Amino acid sequence: MEPFKDDAEMIAELRTVRPLPSPVFAADLDERAAAGFPPRSLPDASPHEQLGAWLRALPPRRWLLPAGVTALGAIAIATVVVAVSEPKNDSASIAQLSGTDRSAPPPKAERYDAHAGSAKAHPSHAAGAGTGVDSSGVQFETAVPTTTGHASAPGEALSSSASSAAASGPSRPAETGPFATDTAHRNIERSAEMVLGAEPAEVGDDAAKVFDAVHASDGIVLRSSVSGGAAGDAGATFELLIPSAKLGDALAAFSAIAEVRSRHEATDDITAPTVRLDEHLRDSRATIDGLLVQLAGADTDSERAEVEAELSAERRHAASLRSQATKLDRRANLSRVSLRIETGAGWTSDGADSGWGIGEALGDAGHILAIAAAVTIVGLAIVGPLALIALLAWLANRAWVRHRRERALS
Amino acid sequence: MKGGLGRSTSVNSSSTLVATAEEAPREADVAFDRLYRSSRDDVYAYVASLVRDEAAAEDVTATAFERAYRKRSRFDPSRGEPRAWLFGIARNAALDELRHRGRQAELTAEPADLVSAAAHESAEASERRLAISTGLTALDPRQRELIALKFFAGLSNAEIADVVGVGESNAGTKLHRAVTKLREACNGAL
Repeated sequence: MEPFKDDAEMIAELRTVRPLPSPVFAADLDERAAAGFPPRSLPDASPHEQLGAWLRALPPRRWLLPAGVTALGAIAIATVVVAVSEPKNDSASIAQLSGTDRSAPPPKAERYDAHAGSAKAHPSHAAGAGTGVDSSGVQFETAVPTTTGHASAPGEALSSSASSAAASGPSRPAETGPFATDTAHRNIERSAEMVLGAEPAEVGDDAAKVFDAVHASDGIVLRSSVSGGAAGDAGATFELLIPSAKLGDALAAFSAIAEVRSRHEATDDITAPTVRLDEHLRDSRATIDGLLVQLAGADTDSERAEVEAELSAERRHAASLRSQATKLDRRANLSRVSLRIETGAGWTSDGADSGWGIGEALGDAGHILAIAAAVTIVGLAIVGPLALIALLAWLANRAWVRHRRERALS
Repeated sequence: MKGGLGRSTSVNSSSTLVATAEEAPREADVAFDRLYRSSRDDVYAYVASLVRDEAAAEDVTATAFERAYRKRSRFDPSRGEPRAWLFGIARNAALDELRHRGRQAELTAEPADLVSAAAHESAEASERRLAISTGLTALDPRQRELIALKFFAGLSNAEIADVVGVGESNAGTKLHRAVTKLREACNGAL
């Protein structure tokens, strides 16, 4: 037999042995092609293999869309959950911060915020106390020598009275400290600010209702001002003193008069200055008693005159302390309330009970978007590493399958 | 026949067989139909040369076209010719079949049609065909694959390079070596 003359002759012979599909298979495949290659049943395949084949047969758009919708739904639900639960967290943190009033829980809807400081300063003015007198212990001690004029330095005045008390022998009370922790009864100064919204025509009637509510609470109207006019001009302001025991009822009565646009309440513990003032008063009385004994035993006129001068000064000091004690009791028993009736659309910018407008809507929208972004970031932080691991596993599996395929050919 | 391929579509040049992914799904179906019509027998010939079993070849051919049909919208013309893409899928399916069966691609058996045809031919032609089969058996499996892609499936060197994952010049060199070795083996058998 002659060998192939050239490659062309061999290739021509090679093409004659080209495998051809059987007519039956070709017809069957044509039918399946015309039907869009429907998935064939895999009778010998395991459920795992059948599931894998079914997943592979799914076009990407068939599972990408549901997966995307599921992810968006999860983000939306998480955002709603976080947004709904967030006010609870704020309330909890506020409750933790409001631990100053331990013995007397704050009245309903009481708020602690930056306005409390301004509210605290009011009672001192209402009570007619010396200017700058406040409830804190340090400021109170500063006020004592100012009102008494007894010494040039407050610390000197207190230390001198304390030492004289120690010398006269009365028992020293328990250390009060800045918060008077050892005291069973606590004196709490309360104050409140409230803004009501009303129609201009209703300002007069609402002001009358305010007076009625104050009288019903046995309160005192320190100052009041009622003005009429158009919306925005008409209004009323009240500076009130309400018995602290009836403050809640009074505020509830005010709230029922008109729409509440803002309401702030604050408390201040004045137990420490009260207790300290009582101590100083006892010391002063003991000093007076000692001076009276010295006066009875004085032998000379000059000695008697000197003791009488000290006695007179100490009596003035005791009178001043009693006045201060009276003022503190007044601050504890009467609460300062600033009430204002507004007209028009003058929304307060700081009230939690204020209305809801475009600004608030934009703020809420930004807040919700921030929460959604945070939820998405957290989700990506969780899903990202998992996706990276899945990607690496997929790449490794792909390389392994390719290697196995090449080995199968080898 | 929902989403199926029409039967009246004529075979066109391979460069226009598959529509781009951006085109309508119907365009992709029509393009795939053209690809199917032009490549059905070629794919079968290539797969049969690899798996050397008629039933397995039919199953792998059907699987290859099913996979290609599912992925038809994801075909990127910028990454190669549609026939190369289709034969790549067919190659993976055939190698998966070989891997699952634990068999290697050996061109040792005679196709049934070849045997039946040889019975009606002259002794010289029969001997030549037997020499061809012997020569193919003597080749390395990868060389046999190149021969099948080139002369059974009719792929160009560039398409072969895409299918087997080598450069075009490298594919041409390997193919030349395979043809030379096949000729030597065939002449040695004659």
